[in-house]
Amino acid sequence: MTLADIQSQSSQKPSPLLRFSRRVLMGTGFGALALCFGFWATPYGPAEADFLNRLSPPTATHWFGTDHLGRDIGTRLLFGAFWSLGLSFVISLAGLLVGTLIGLVAGATGRLPDMVLMRITDSFFAFPELIAAVTFAGLFGPSTINLVIALSLVSWMKFTRLSRSLAKSIAEQDFVIQARLNGLPAGLILLRHILPNVIPSLLVLWTSSWSRTILAVSGLSFLGFGVQPPTAEWGAMLLDGKPYMQTAPHLMIFPGLAVLISVLVINLTGDRIRDLLAKTK
Amino acid sequence: MQQNDPLFHLEGLTVEIDGKPLLRDVSFDVSAGEMLCVIGESGAGKSTLLKALQGFLPATCRRLAFSPANIRVAGAVPAITGLPQSRWVMQDPLAALNPKLTLGTSIGESLHAQKLSAQACKSAVLEALSEVELGPDFYTRLPGQVSLGQAQRACLARALIARPKLIFFDEPLSALDALVQKKIARQMDALRHKTQTAFIVVTHDLSFAAAYADRILVLRQGQVEAYQSRDAFFDQPDSAYATELIGAARSLGTLPPARATA
Repeated sequence: MTLADIQSQSSQKPSPLLRFSRRVLMGTGFGALALCFGFWATPYGPAEADFLNRLSPPTATHWFGTDHLGRDIGTRLLFGAFWSLGLSFVISLAGLLVGTLIGLVAGATGRLPDMVLMRITDSFFAFPELIAAVTFAGLFGPSTINLVIALSLVSWMKFTRLSRSLAKSIAEQDFVIQARLNGLPAGLILLRHILPNVIPSLLVLWTSSWSRTILAVSGLSFLGFGVQPPTAEWGAMLLDGKPYMQTAPHLMIFPGLAVLISVLVINLTGDRIRDLLAKTK
Repeated sequence: MQQNDPLFHLEGLTVEIDGKPLLRDVSFDVSAGEMLCVIGESGAGKSTLLKALQGFLPATCRRLAFSPANIRVAGAVPAITGLPQSRWVMQDPLAALNPKLTLGTSIGESLHAQKLSAQACKSAVLEALSEVELGPDFYTRLPGQVSLGQAQRACLARALIARPKLIFFDEPLSALDALVQKKIARQMDALRHKTQTAFIVVTHDLSFAAAYADRILVLRQGQVEAYQSRDAFFDQPDSAYATELIGAARSLGTLPPARATA
């Protein structure tokens, strides 16, 4: 049996989940490509001001108009995607990795580490996400790096809880008992039997965590606690546009739409993955 | 038919959890190549028996001897996970196979303790697959891509590949449909005779016991009701409860109405 055989087997009958994952990958690739094309095609820079052309509504040269300093909003949205989506991607990924690690250790080792780790997790849960981030920004000053640290600190607990409870229930299943009877070491059981069966549920949780983090990053930046103007983050752009809400609403409409659409797309993708996973079980 | 030195000898096994006895004074012998069927209603302690012998429950006994693993103890049953030189085939094959691992990897895990090279392990797995009449293409299949019967055969291959001296079966056929049951029961019987492995099969299928068992152990509420050779059991059961069980199976039609007396 060669690799080609396996591939031909899987291509004969791709499961809906596999087909959807492929589509998601393609969509992500296409989105990234479009973004790169945008960076290449735009004649403007994100901080390039044109004071003679301030607050221009959408035109043929400025598709999304210009802001109060005459900067091209379309270009700023592109760079904003990097900040808003990228920062929240990094934050939620850090939460996923740290949270899963802690959860697996708590769920698969003894009773004492379980108790200690879960009490720590519970105490972190007691902090409301946004308030914790605002407090952190208040203590250490508002900046991008402090925003990332603050949101990372409050993003891992959900993953810990989920991976711990899943690890505990999987550890009691027959195939894990068989692996134990066959003398596999605990680390290998965790890696080979428990982790692969935990990952799908964690991925679904991660998509919702990512979209929530986008909202948190933009929300905190809008409040002034996160990414600071003139950096073209979508929340910071909303803050920039606030004084002109009445006279030039496109300053707020376009960044707002960008947040809305990206959160919506990520949430719907996560929902679909969850549905397909439920069907395969 | 009594051999002088049985492969597996158990005397006075008792399992108590929180002062509540689950098994009381269970004794039996199994010789190489023999099949012992453990029969009883649910809650009678059949599965408790298997779990205790595999070290998942604390148990005590008057004597436990298992010669291939050089085990000879009296008192507490050793609390090691898994009786050496034995394997355990479970009731639900799909629960007993990791859905994310290929059958080949799952079966190969049975050889983990032997530290084989990947190549040797793979050829051993392919051989075990052919022993249970599964083609080499099953090596790369996932449990979700095979039928229940094929999955149970893979579990059987996983047990056989380690060449154990004793295999425990926990209702190995009850999750399968009748035709597949028959096929796999025959295959189990043939493999038992070929490899001279002893089988301890927990079941509540009297017709299976009547067809294949050498000896029968009936459990009820954690106690031995009857322990007889098969023919003696079906001709003249030791206890009223066993008589009732056989009568019920006969009237349901799973057993032939009466046995011709020789």
